[in-house]
Amino acid sequence: MKKKMNRRTFLKYSAAVGATTAIAGVPTLLRAQAPEIKIASIQPVTGVLSDIGISMRRGNQMAVDDINAKGGIKSMGGAKLRLLLGDSEAKEDVARSEAERVIKDGATCLVGPFLSGNAMTIATLCEQRGVPFVMDVAAADDITRKGFKYTFRVFATTSKFADSMLFYMDKIMKEKNISKIRGVVTNTGDLFGRVQGATFIKALKDKKFPIEVLGHIEYPLGIQDLSAEISKIKALKPDVLFPVARPGDAKLMIRELYKQRVELQGIISPGSPGWYEPEFIRDMKALADFVMDNVPWYNPVGKMYKEVNSAFSKKFPGKYIDTNSGYAYLGVLVIADALERAKSTKPDDIVAALKKTYFKQDLMVGLAVSFDERGDNVNADTAMIQIIGQSIKVVLPEKAAEAKYIHPMPKQIWDRGV
Amino acid sequence: MKIIYSFLSILLLILLLLPNFVSDYILGIFVLIFFYAYMGQSWNVLTGYAGPISLGHSLYLGIGAYISTKLAMSFGVTPWIGMWVGGLGAALVGLAIGFLGFRFGLKGVYFVLLTIAFGEIGRLTVLHLKPLGHMMGLFVDFKPGFVNFHFRGNLPYYYIALGFVVFSLIVVRALEVSKWGRYFVALREDEDAAESLGVNVFKYKMIAIGISSFMTALGGTFYANYIFYLHPTSVMSMWVSIEIIMRPIIGGLGTPFGPLIGSFLLTPLSEIARSYFTKAGLEGIHIVIYGLLLIAAVLFFPGGIFAFIKKIVKPILGESKEI
Repeated sequence: MKKKMNRRTFLKYSAAVGATTAIAGVPTLLRAQAPEIKIASIQPVTGVLSDIGISMRRGNQMAVDDINAKGGIKSMGGAKLRLLLGDSEAKEDVARSEAERVIKDGATCLVGPFLSGNAMTIATLCEQRGVPFVMDVAAADDITRKGFKYTFRVFATTSKFADSMLFYMDKIMKEKNISKIRGVVTNTGDLFGRVQGATFIKALKDKKFPIEVLGHIEYPLGIQDLSAEISKIKALKPDVLFPVARPGDAKLMIRELYKQRVELQGIISPGSPGWYEPEFIRDMKALADFVMDNVPWYNPVGKMYKEVNSAFSKKFPGKYIDTNSGYAYLGVLVIADALERAKSTKPDDIVAALKKTYFKQDLMVGLAVSFDERGDNVNADTAMIQIIGQSIKVVLPEKAAEAKYIHPMPKQIWDRGV
Repeated sequence: MKIIYSFLSILLLILLLLPNFVSDYILGIFVLIFFYAYMGQSWNVLTGYAGPISLGHSLYLGIGAYISTKLAMSFGVTPWIGMWVGGLGAALVGLAIGFLGFRFGLKGVYFVLLTIAFGEIGRLTVLHLKPLGHMMGLFVDFKPGFVNFHFRGNLPYYYIALGFVVFSLIVVRALEVSKWGRYFVALREDEDAAESLGVNVFKYKMIAIGISSFMTALGGTFYANYIFYLHPTSVMSMWVSIEIIMRPIIGGLGTPFGPLIGSFLLTPLSEIARSYFTKAGLEGIHIVIYGLLLIAAVLFFPGGIFAFIKKIVKPILGESKEI
């Protein structure tokens, strides 16, 4: 009698076919595929810093895609990288939890996380779990001074900022035959401003650098009128103004310097975000010209930068590789390079390879990535940027320079026909 | 009551055995559940039982965390001792705030404002204190070992956090059945009536804020040695206070199980939703879901989930059974 196919027999046959496929078929397919290596990106994708977090994750992701497009990790049979995503929400407890999750999901190495506090939490967790961690952006010196075995940093440390500033000032002074600069340091009264201002002054004193600080002027963040402060500066008659400012007070300062006709040879910031923001340049026009700022920056003349930036802009219209996304991209490249040399995904092998890293790059200002015994990138550096013709140009170091710096300012602020 | 104790014993047994069956990641989620349940319970002592609403409990968390960590980093004092010093420090500050508030009869929103103001003063003070790391924050040295309160795996943290929860439950239950607890509830329900019956309002409110701030500060030490980084914004800001009070409000104010139920609901939900949506590249959705759940909880369980459970369970257990 012909057996009728009812629901039960159908299920029975399906199960048998399924099982056979599972036993015989799928392993064949798996064998044919290149192995996969998971790394994880933890960035503040939501929360108060989401813009930066998204930009950094894009940097991480694009680096992974580019490495895979070029054949993956060749020493491991062309293994493809897979980026596990984590969102720290800019909070330490969430960063820890997310790091724990990606480690559970099999991440062999972590990259991130922009904030130093988040970085510290993740670094400690990675030490507890024995998983390598490469900090793409996070500047606080303290993190790598805790003796962590598994943590590395491609970004510049806070102390490096001050060192580089003095290095560039020394160069400018020597080239322009300036034996001494009489300067005034200003900063906003928030803690970022205070720390930057005080660190710069301390570095000058410690190194007995020939910049005499005539005055140190502090004003509250969000100030609406800087006329009194600028009057003080005018009375001190400095050669150069060293301001740590945010976009709002940077604009006020330039307007007031213009109004009060303060004569200066230059405006050189030891490192603050006020001077390179597009809105500052857009609003100040020619008045913004010749301002210099000492910041970690991309290398505009680098071949790698040009390639990556053009692909990035194509993928994300209106966006470009900036300091954060650039370091995020570089962080993943450094991990891939270590995996390539380690030929293994064992944490200790990756750490050993990371320690021997010498990764040539011209994506960011600074030389090849190479770590010291603490795990800091000894060649991470800042750039001196200058606004020339209302656009930002890297002027130092010369290797990355798009233009020669202009010092002293050829025209005073009030004398620019505005 | 016997039924409740039996249920709690079984739950405790399950929680004690749980680490044998789950990963470090899941243990980490439980650590956060316990931590927030404990913090919520500490706040519950003051606001849930005695009545004055505090929106500045992050101040006590911060004081506990900073004192024990600074003692450990600068003087080598083990956090196991430092946590009690931190607790005393926070209790002193809590009593000072309480003195100002209760002595001058601040009630309702005015007391809330006082707690917010002191919370902010605390945050800004630490932000400017160099020995406490000011704006850079305090980076805690990782020195694995029981004495240092630092562990490699989540297992010890899990049991310590569970211990904190059990401790807080015992304290709250002991309070509930004591004279003090009865006075607290009397104050909460009608301060004038309580006073007219001879309850010393000032004294018992001071006792409540003292216990509450002391307990909160103990949790601060746990936080510092679990997260390894202290920053005034991440431990002493207003949103931390809100995070602390969310669980008892959702679970049920003025009940011993409210903070626990609230934390068992909110903490994993937030973790699982974040993990799920982040994996799918849809960050931010989990925050929307979290917000919706809060709205739903307020709409459908205005007295807290515990009150709802009580309503369902009581007829089954019989009216005479007290929960």
